Amino acid sequence: MLDYLGLEADLTQEERMIRDEARRFVEEEVKPDIGEHFENGTFPMDLVPKMGELGFYAPTIDGYGLPGVGDRAYGILMQELEAGDSGLRSMASVQGALVMYPIYAFGSEEQKERWLPDLGTGDAVGCFGLTEPEHGSNPSGMQTRAERDDDGFVLNGSKTWITNSPIADVAVVWGRDTSADDSPVRGFLVETDRDGVTTNKIDDKLSMRASVTGEIGLDDVWVPEENVLPGVEGMKGPLSCLTQARFGISWGVVGAARDAFEAALDYAKDRDQFGGPIARFQIQQDKLAEMATQITNGQLMAYRLAELKSRDELRHQHVSMAKRHNVRMAREVSRTAREILGGNGITTDYSPMRHLANMETVYTYEGTHDIHTLVIGADLTGIPAFE
Amino acid sequence: MKVLVTVKEVAEVEDDFEIADLDVDPRYLEYDLNEWDEYAVESAVQLAEAADEEVEVVSVTIGPERSEETIRMALAKGVDRAVRVWDDDIEAAEFLDVASKVRLLEAVVAEEDPDIVLSGVQAHDTGFGATGVALADAIGFEWGAVVNALDIEGVLNDGVARVHRELEGGIEELTEIDLPAVLTIQTGINEPRYASLRGIRQAQSKEIAPKTLSDLGLDFSAVESELFLTDMYEPETESDATYFEGDAGEQAAALASALREKGVGAE
Repeated sequence: MLDYLGLEADLTQEERMIRDEARRFVEEEVKPDIGEHFENGTFPMDLVPKMGELGFYAPTIDGYGLPGVGDRAYGILMQELEAGDSGLRSMASVQGALVMYPIYAFGSEEQKERWLPDLGTGDAVGCFGLTEPEHGSNPSGMQTRAERDDDGFVLNGSKTWITNSPIADVAVVWGRDTSADDSPVRGFLVETDRDGVTTNKIDDKLSMRASVTGEIGLDDVWVPEENVLPGVEGMKGPLSCLTQARFGISWGVVGAARDAFEAALDYAKDRDQFGGPIARFQIQQDKLAEMATQITNGQLMAYRLAELKSRDELRHQHVSMAKRHNVRMAREVSRTAREILGGNGITTDYSPMRHLANMETVYTYEGTHDIHTLVIGADLTGIPAFE
Repeated sequence: MKVLVTVKEVAEVEDDFEIADLDVDPRYLEYDLNEWDEYAVESAVQLAEAADEEVEVVSVTIGPERSEETIRMALAKGVDRAVRVWDDDIEAAEFLDVASKVRLLEAVVAEEDPDIVLSGVQAHDTGFGATGVALADAIGFEWGAVVNALDIEGVLNDGVARVHRELEGGIEELTEIDLPAVLTIQTGINEPRYASLRGIRQAQSKEIAPKTLSDLGLDFSAVESELFLTDMYEPETESDATYFEGDAGEQAAALASALREKGVGAE
């Protein structure tokens, strides 16, 4: 496995063991039929409880049956999962960083006890409702409304591009509380079996096919007061969750790129043309050297991010830079890997084009590449381009 | 009840390698838990999980400090603690034969006093396939070799290991073995689990007790092997293939004369 500058030699024994077991899990449980799932547009549902049993959901949380590992160990885990498929890492990202994290950080003790153990084992599946049909990059323009009644709230609105909504038991829905001054954004835990909730599946995807994506429709959905996340008001609620998730993406896509690279390297050494392996040609070696260098760059960013996070010095702009850089890197690397595989590269027998297709989603989800560019631009100049 | 599982860190050789002296050059080796031992560990942990009373699972290995990472994976999967036997005399021993290993394991059995010992059928690298049964003989336990099914209830409730043993030609033998006993575990007896993140965390604080020969009441004579490696080489692959050049007619003519030379067919 590519680790050109030997960064993994600095991992602790615990981190190496997590890497090894996650890698073995992906090798044995994911890779054999992920191509078929991608082709059929299905998520391997049997992996939901298996990943829970192994503690893959929100593993940095300590308590509620969760293992409490460090930030770098979490990053390594995301890297290994996404080497399998971005759909798998997305499942773990959403469940952990976008559902369990806000409940842990902003929830009441009752909410934590009700949901964290079940979400941790995969007995319950969660989803995160922020994006709306008319509000993508500018989520603060959201139209979802919550209106107070006697002992709870009535929710109306629609959310879209929601990973796992059709299979979710609970949705963390962000909406404006119109009964309060200035209509602040609040988080609501909405059980998907409540009257008025619909979760239609989005079927016509050409990317991230081994992942379930859908909408959340809220038509006069009543939730009790105790379903409101008490600990946060305003956009920092959803945005802080996204910073957590993007940290995982920055690590994850390094795994996808590495997997594409390894497939291309094996193929180049194996594929004989003109009397020898194509790996002997300078044009292929140029591609391989460039890929290895770019992956190593991405890996360095991911490691540095974990370092800053564990010191509590990580700013969301740091995460924007790594997410932006690493996803673009993985997109380019997987495309180059596909080239080396020639015609074989366009089938589901090999991973690079599947990773490439997935990267098209990752490039524009959780903050598009362009918006992250502007976040960094605003940080550097002090002049926000999008306000 | 106490279960002792013998585990070994084995060397895996890369596809391309070189030989240095009497062994594969370590640069071409990677180390992992012996595959058969993974199944033995799983059987032991399943015994402990199924028991109402306290069942302690202890693993023992003979190996250098490097092997701790491999051993810790067994701890992450539910083994309670581990014993690792190693010292300078063992390091200096050129080759540990089965008898040497048995002398060390015998001393550990004397200290631990287990009710049942589980061992992999064989080690992936040296492949003697003898340590388990030789140990049983040395410590006076009953034994069952190449076990591919084990009735856990019988072990826990009746003190009897009801086992299926895999024999040649697809024959299965059903045997009842009174405890204490040594069972050598075959792959496929169960489905070894993955270590969970929680298990991996907990394993970091579980004990791996280092033991030297003198800790076990032994000295360097315990690892004096009667078996010596005399040579290690890659067998020459003999290939007599001849490729006949030319078009089909020329190739057929060349083949015909070659066959005639070998005395095939009538003149």
